[in-house]
This record gives sequence, structure tokens and C-alpha cells, in this order.
Amino acid sequence: MILQEMANSASQWSRGDGPEGEIVFSCRVRLARNLEGFTFPPRAHDSVLRDVSDKVLNAVKKSDYLKNSRLINISELSGTERRFLLERHLISLEFSAEGSHRFLVTEKGEVISLMINEEDHLRLQSILSGLQLMDAWRLSDKVDDELEQNLDYAFLPQWGYLTSCPTNTGTGMRASCMLHLPALVATHRIDELLKNISKLVLGARGLYGEGTKSQGDFFQISNQVTLGLGEEEIVDSVERVTRQVVGQEKRAREMLLKRNGTQLKDQVGRAYGTLVNAYLMSSEEAISLLSKLRLGVVSLHLFPHLSIQALNELFFMITPAQLQVKEGKEMAPLDRAGLRAKIIRERLGELK
Amino acid sequence: MVGKKKTIIIPKKKMICQVCGEREATFHFKEMINGQVKELHLCEICAKEKGLSETFFVPSFSLSNLMAGLTELEVPLFQETSVSCPHCGLSYEDIKKTGKIGCSLCYQALKEYLTPLLERIQGKVRHFGKVPRRGKVKDQRERRIYELRKELEKLVRKEEYERAAELRDEIRRLEKEK
Repeated sequence: MILQEMANSASQWSRGDGPEGEIVFSCRVRLARNLEGFTFPPRAHDSVLRDVSDKVLNAVKKSDYLKNSRLINISELSGTERRFLLERHLISLEFSAEGSHRFLVTEKGEVISLMINEEDHLRLQSILSGLQLMDAWRLSDKVDDELEQNLDYAFLPQWGYLTSCPTNTGTGMRASCMLHLPALVATHRIDELLKNISKLVLGARGLYGEGTKSQGDFFQISNQVTLGLGEEEIVDSVERVTRQVVGQEKRAREMLLKRNGTQLKDQVGRAYGTLVNAYLMSSEEAISLLSKLRLGVVSLHLFPHLSIQALNELFFMITPAQLQVKEGKEMAPLDRAGLRAKIIRERLGELK
Repeated sequence: MVGKKKTIIIPKKKMICQVCGEREATFHFKEMINGQVKELHLCEICAKEKGLSETFFVPSFSLSNLMAGLTELEVPLFQETSVSCPHCGLSYEDIKKTGKIGCSLCYQALKEYLTPLLERIQGKVRHFGKVPRRGKVKDQRERRIYELRKELEKLVRKEEYERAAELRDEIRRLEKEK
């Protein structure tokens, strides 16, 4: 029931109202924390996991930020329901495969959420719209402070916060931005860019979270190093690189418009035509067409009745898992394709 | 970049290069392409011609692969005896296999092994970020230093250099006490 309620409203961070929201879809700061004296989840027995989740849930009750949150027991969910949460960036791929004593805590807007007993005892995250990574860090920092009042974190002065994976040791922080880069893809400059970014120890991932493929020209930039730098320094560096990429995407859009303006408009118009007239639509096709339409709406100011918010939200309404959770039943691919096309027609039509 | 995973394998018997069909294959690897495992065996010359150097084996986006390679490199032989964590029982072998650490005590029990590993992954092995408020007496000094450092950054941004210099001295004094 909780999930169905969630499926009927979009996450706050998908509104597209943040700074640079035309290109930066969302930004996120995740903190990994563990409790002192308890084995990390991958090696822990069920009784340890239970003790940990009891302790953490108790701290959650006392947190002003989280006390009115939804509490979801992962072991009670079907595969589709787990996929639903994964696509909404609330749980990780690894978490979706795990068993008992795993919980997700998420406040209503899905801005702040907490995974209990993922790879680490706590995985706390804040997601905001657009490029406001420093604010996302400050928010995560505050919630972390609150939780910490009732929890003893595993910490060593030399190595900082101790985590299950040595790639998180230190700050335990992953700061990331999700970007929509259709012009850099269209001008074939994306591969070179990704190569350069990876040299700066940043990584790239797909729209629907960790471990999903890059579809619809969405990419994610994040820090890899977590030790030896302060949190704000890390956030600064990810923001700086993001701004550079945003600048390059803007230039690529201008260039596309100047050199192939008519061609570009034609592609956007055709994408819109298909979206509002189709009766069967696969998710791959929908994502690819929505990506084109999004570029047309934000950069060419075509179809002024459409908002970034409406388009952003559509991306998260049309995947197989979102559709099936919304309907509250498993559906065959053909039925999904029909429902998907209907939702898109209605959403794009009703906004007229 | 997506959907591909390369690992080096060592075959049990001698293999012939799959490209020239003459020389002995010395480059062996497996690649996962869309869920199917493909094996490739090449001799040194053909491998070079295909542009497959050693750096080829370090995919830029897969840290777990990178780590598996690192753990192989970093374990000094004499330590590979039976040292394991007294709390969760994790051994060097376990880290080599999974790339994961078992509990907070491992960080101390397997310190000699983890230090070079963290150095390779992270570059620096001295934490410079947030410090929890609750904690041991020693951590509380760290917390104070952390707060002062944050304050210092703010002052520098506001160009209040006099007060910033005072804070800097205070941080240095606390750091010496460690």
C-alpha cells in the first residue's frame, strides 16, 4: 500500500526546479556509517542484523528529520517492488537482493532516506533537484548529527568512518550529480569526456540508479576518493567538474542548433508526435523519445505547454516496475506497453 | 563501458593464439558480454597488435575489478599466514576474495595489510573530514580540530585573516598533542 501511494506521487527532487535544472537532473550526497562493535552486514548473523536494525530504528524515531518517515521492510517486498525502489534511487542494487532485517526509511518527499543493513549498517542520503550539492551535503550532515546522538559510530581518527568496502572508508561519502547530456551524445563528444572525467577519478552511471545502464543520455558524475579530503572539498570538486560538463553541454547545444537547427527541431517534433499518438510504447523507446523532447523543451523552447517538471516526472512513471506497482499487479509486456502509451498521451495531452 | 567485464584467467593447459593460430597464447582473459562469458587467448604479438596492453585490464569504471587486482599485488607473502580478525574472523584471504572488510575491529587487526590497500585505492590514508561528536576522549580532540577547520575555512572566505590566524595556531597546537 505504501508503495502504491508512492507511485502516485513523484519524488520532490524530480521537479527540475533546482539551479542548472535544465541539464543537472538531480544531485545526491550519501553517507556510509557503521555501529561500533557490530559486524558489518555482509558477514553478520541474523541476530546481529536484528540488534543493529533495532538500534538504528530507535535513533530514527528520535530524529526530527526522519520520525514521520515511511518504514519499509525489504524482505516483505516482491522483486518488482524492490526494482521500483531501486529506480526511484531509494535503494541500491545490492540491497534489493538482500534478505531479512533490511529496512528502508524515507521521508515523504523522498529527499532524505536511509537504508538499514545494506553493505554498511547505515546508508543515509539526501537528493535535491538540480545542482545544489553543498546543500545536499549540509542536509545529510544534519541528519547524520541527529542520528549520531543515539548511535556509536565505528570511527578511527586515522581512517575516519570505518566501512565495509575500503572504497568508502574515511568520509563514507559519495557526492554525485545526474546530468542530461543529449547534445554531447549527439555530437559524439561524450566518450572522450567520460574518459577525461574518469581520469579525475569520477564515474558515470545510468538514470535509474546504481548498476543500471545509461539510457536516454543520462550520466552520473561522482567522487571516487573518500579519504584524505574534507567533505566540503569533495563536494566542491564534484561541483566544479559538473559545472564544466554543464558548460560543454550548453556549448554543444548551441552548436547543434546553429549547424543542424532544422534537423534538431524535426527530431524533437517527431519524438513529440510519436509520444502523443502511440498506443503501444516500450520503455526503451519512451525514454529515448522523452530525452529528445526534454532537449527540445528546455533548449529550443518548443511545446511551451510542457514543463521540465512534467517531463522529469514522466521518466519515473513509465518503467515496468513503476507501472506495475502503480497498478498493484504483475502485467504482461504488451499490457505494460499499452498502459505506458496511455499515461504518456494523457500526461503530455492534459498539459495543453 | 556498460555490460562488459574483463577478468584475467590462467588456463590449466597450453593454449594456441586464437588470432595467428601459431604462437603460444600468453594473454588469457574472460569477458562478460550481455551475460555470456567469452574467453580470449592471444599471443603477446597479436595482443599488442590489438592494442591490449596491461593498462587494458584496468577498466576505468569498475572499482571492484580494480580492487581484485590490487589485493593480489599487495599481500606480502610472510603475512599470508593465519592472521585473522579476533571479532569476526575475517582473514586476508577473505578480503582478497570479496574486497570487503568484516567489522570495525578488522581495521586494527589487519592494519598492516589494509594500510597499503587503502593507500592504493584512496591515495591518502589520513582522514580529514567529519568526526563524530560521541566517542572516545581521543576522538573528541579530533572533533574539535574538525570544527575549528570548518570555522577556519569560513573565516578565510570572509577574509577575516586575523581571527583565521588565531584558529590556525589553535589547530596546530591541538594536532601536536596527538
